[in-house]
Amino acid sequence: MRLSVARLDLGNRRRLTMGYAVGMALYALAIVALYPTFKHSSELNKLASGKLGALFGVTGPLTSPAGWLDANAFTNFLPLIMLLLTIGYGASAIAGQDDDNTLGPIVVLPLSRRRILAEKIVALMAQALALTLAVAACTYVGRAFELTLDPWNVATALLAVLVLGIDLGLIALTVGAATGSRGTAIGVTATLAAASYLISSLAPVVSWIHPLRFASLFYWAVGDNQLASGTTITAFAILTAVAAIATLTATVAFQRLDVR
Amino acid sequence: MALWNARRVDAAIEASGLTKAYGATVAVNRLDLRVQRGQVFGFLGPNGAGKSTTIRMLLGLHRPSAGSARVLGLDSVRESVAIHARCGYLPGDLELYPRMTGRSVLDWFAAARDGVDSALRDALVERFDVTLDRRIRELSKGNRQKIGLVIAFMHRPDLVVLDEPTTGLDPLMQQEFHHLLAETTAEGRTVFLSSHELDEVQRVADRVAIIKRGQLVVTDTVEALRRKAPQTIELRFRAPVPATVFDGLDDVAHITVDGDRVTMQVTGELAPLLRVIADHNPVELVTRRADLDELFLSYYRDSPNSDAT
Repeated sequence: MRLSVARLDLGNRRRLTMGYAVGMALYALAIVALYPTFKHSSELNKLASGKLGALFGVTGPLTSPAGWLDANAFTNFLPLIMLLLTIGYGASAIAGQDDDNTLGPIVVLPLSRRRILAEKIVALMAQALALTLAVAACTYVGRAFELTLDPWNVATALLAVLVLGIDLGLIALTVGAATGSRGTAIGVTATLAAASYLISSLAPVVSWIHPLRFASLFYWAVGDNQLASGTTITAFAILTAVAAIATLTATVAFQRLDVR
Repeated sequence: MALWNARRVDAAIEASGLTKAYGATVAVNRLDLRVQRGQVFGFLGPNGAGKSTTIRMLLGLHRPSAGSARVLGLDSVRESVAIHARCGYLPGDLELYPRMTGRSVLDWFAAARDGVDSALRDALVERFDVTLDRRIRELSKGNRQKIGLVIAFMHRPDLVVLDEPTTGLDPLMQQEFHHLLAETTAEGRTVFLSSHELDEVQRVADRVAIIKRGQLVVTDTVEALRRKAPQTIELRFRAPVPATVFDGLDDVAHITVDGDRVTMQVTGELAPLLRVIADHNPVELVTRRADLDELFLSYYRDSPNSDAT
């Protein structure tokens, strides 16, 4: 399997992907390196407690290793950058390329649409993985900065962020394949992601939102104190099931799409 | 049954009742089309007539709302991958990847498609003087179009579908392109050429179809259309003749009388007209074959189907 379509898209987006990965890695490195400066700051814990902290996805003490990384990266900035990358690609892979008139010459190659879509999903995963690995490398450097975390919990939390990014990228891909509109794909998926983030971050402090947390992909990926407690099998099962359903739906939608 | 199969094998394209509607807008309406193998088939029509939509349905890019099409004997929807293996396509609004060079674009398409003869690709590159080492975004429309032509022809397809192929090409390259079409059909392969360039189509096409507002208005050979094109006849008589002299002649139209001079358009045989004028002492007769362009334009303007969409 030569993966021509995947290689084409990855090649055309290599600078963008590298930019996201390097930028996020430098940010993670800075957060990790700053930890010793703030680890004894009781004011930070006071500031981040309650509803204000919840708005930023903070649910525990900010000065603990897990709280520090959660508050500064894992529950907000890392998923945000991941989603910018994956939703951006998901919306452009089918609908965006159709808008640009570059999809037609690929669809008239002797490749089935199912194969083309599969290769685009591979490209999506590869981009998300590049970002994850860059952040992983910098996070593990944190041990040198007194940021000691269970390596297994960090690995599974990063994997959960990776699958969260793939899920929302696939949803953007599906909406794009169903509507042929890049704008709609980005709009619908970004709205879904924002709602999911709000539900996950406010669920611990707003009682009527609390039962809704199970409907939030953010909750299953980063909203349940995963860095400290680990990511559950159930969470992975749900995140993976969403990816599978989105893939199936995208396959059906792309088969029916009128390509320019 | 054997006859029916033989007929199907002869056809590079067969469409039956092909229809595409976008909501209430019908872009192509019950189109029946048959393209013989080994021909250049000209597909003409004004902008927005449904040419590109028809092509997209034939290649499986669009799903027909009704009707069906067979391309190289294969169903355009269910067997589109097999069709794509044997077809070359140049879209009317070709866009390539702006940051890639011409060479990397051609390399990518050759790698993505099995069976590309690199010698043929190189020959086409040389023939069309394709710029290989500059980025696509730095190339003119014509130079990008030349890359599109190489992509369409480089795997020696049985059928080449070209949508407005000479856009941006200079006259020398257009001539080279016309030679390539002749060589392609000489090898028994088929070219489906969509264009609104009447002059080009009448020069290179063996057979022509005209589509207007999603419906075919005529399909015929270029020679037959040329025969059908009206002749302009200019007559001078020894003395003035009234226009009523020509009443009752079915194939005569647009009669203008100016003293002893009469101008008219005649479609079909001249014999009935010659019998009439012989009695009125003609002294001069000049005939001028109407340009095919004028015939095509008349189909564009006032075909019987002009309001049926």
